[in-house]
Amino acid sequence: MKKTLLMSLVLAGSLIAADYSSVIQHPDASKLIQKDLLPPAKHFKMPANCVTTNSESIARGAFLFHNLNGKKAKKNPPKGLSRKQMKPGKTYLPGDKIPSKQYGNCIACHDIEGSVGPGNVGPSLVGYKKMFVDSGVRDAQFVYQQIADARALNPESLMTINLANGLFSSSEVCDLTSYILAPK
Amino acid sequence: MKPGIKIVLSLALLSSLSFGGESFAMSDADRAMYTEMLENNPADILVESGNELLEELVGGDAALAAFYKVTEDDLAKYIAGFPRYIEDFKQVVTISQSLQGLMHKHGHKPFKLKSAKMFELSSYVKSIANGENINIDINANKHIKKSYAMGENNYMTPRGGRGLACNSCHSDAVIGTVLRTQPLPDLSSKGVAVAATWPAYRMTKSSLRTLPRRFQGCMKNALLKVIPLGSEEMVALEVYLTHQAKGSEIAIPGLKR
Ligand code: HEC
Ligand code: HEC
Repeated sequence: MKKTLLMSLVLAGSLIAADYSSVIQHPDASKLIQKDLLPPAKHFKMPANCVTTNSESIARGAFLFHNLNGKKAKKNPPKGLSRKQMKPGKTYLPGDKIPSKQYGNCIACHDIEGSVGPGNVGPSLVGYKKMFVDSGVRDAQFVYQQIADARALNPESLMTINLANGLFSSSEVCDLTSYILAPK
Repeated sequence: MKPGIKIVLSLALLSSLSFGGESFAMSDADRAMYTEMLENNPADILVESGNELLEELVGGDAALAAFYKVTEDDLAKYIAGFPRYIEDFKQVVTISQSLQGLMHKHGHKPFKLKSAKMFELSSYVKSIANGENINIDINANKHIKKSYAMGENNYMTPRGGRGLACNSCHSDAVIGTVLRTQPLPDLSSKGVAVAATWPAYRMTKSSLRTLPRRFQGCMKNALLKVIPLGSEEMVALEVYLTHQAKGSEIAIPGLKR
């Protein structure tokens, strides 16, 4: 009897003494991750007149391809592209920090004509039109879809998503498609 | 630093340099600096000041062992098993979180997980396990099992501004390929035993950094929302990657680009 009482006192004591769960930092990140998830894979139909030989469109595509974001880009972006990205629906007061626009940074994974320091996580896009489109293996719709949401073509794709998640507009995906298909 | 540790460290580094391919990532000048730092890791002194912190705060290794309820002889092996479920914390905790509990017990306000002092203190504590092999047991109880599953899921799930997952850049399929001049490192024990070499001195940040802090770096760069240190999700990622390096010899502080 005495023994059990003592035991339970010791036990109770150690239970009260040792609960560090509220002492340590363990913030909740579940909502943050939940909001950061992607919409399901989506098929996109390439808009009419998407692929063009317009030099301004191709210049924007090239710029998006070779640069990471508005802060890191060494040269000024061509007409129609900015360094900053206003968030839709948000108002900015004078002095507010407007976030940098994110570009494609495709060069991180793909080689292409004139590239500096390309990666090789993805296939080389050098000579793409001649090798893959003129030969009939690929078409513009394929390229557009691959850039917009590669998961629709390959659920295991390792490539970045650019349209389904709102990173780019449809016309920016067209700029990129035009650049890849343009003679260089 | 003990000589034994130095040798392990340089082997780990050599192997991480060799898979990178000669033409990428490092100039001759970089390489010379690396060699110099191998002889003399700038973080050694920071790990040593972590040792002094532990002594000041609680009296040293013996108090730590008592807090973990192990003998001093078993301390190194016990530390090599983190992150682990500890009943007194009612959850799976990292070394750093356990040290917050220890500081509280001794009447100190715990260092923040992001603070340089916590990096020093926790690096020292992990370095007690230098020479031990990582022995995390993800089947020890239901809590750590759940944490591992959560970590694996977070690792595999694409999210963020570019729709990338950790796995997009760190899967078997891409190890050794190059992302813009950076060879993508192997995070498992098959190649470089990453979890065994963090905390590490990061030359590009000129400071001592922890593994979860490195995760945050990748999240920021790849536009995944950066999740906070100590969150269940962050601990789970550490559990997942530590298990990938299970069996690898711990060598703290590491030295990274
Ligand atoms: C993180 C790596 C990565 C980035 C960044 C990336 N890609 Fe890719 N890309 C890949 C991989 C890997 C493939 C192979 C197919 C797949 O996994 O979807 C691919 C395939 C492609 C293809 C199809 C090639 C073919 O015909 O099979 C095109 C076109 C392409 N990428 C363009 C782009 C453009 C444009 C960008 C930038 C907006 C970009 N990629 C950014 C990894 C990447
Ligand atoms: C867009 C590609 C990309 C993504 C996505 C990415 N990483 Fe990385 N990671 C890298 C590159 C490149 C390096 C090597 C950089 C260097 O050497 O400085 C790296 C390095 C690391 C390292 C250090 C490896 C070492 O040698 O010690 C860890 C740990 C790591 N990543 C974990 C993660 C985790 C966890 C995630 C997901 C939250 C993640 N990464 C997402 C590209 C990526």
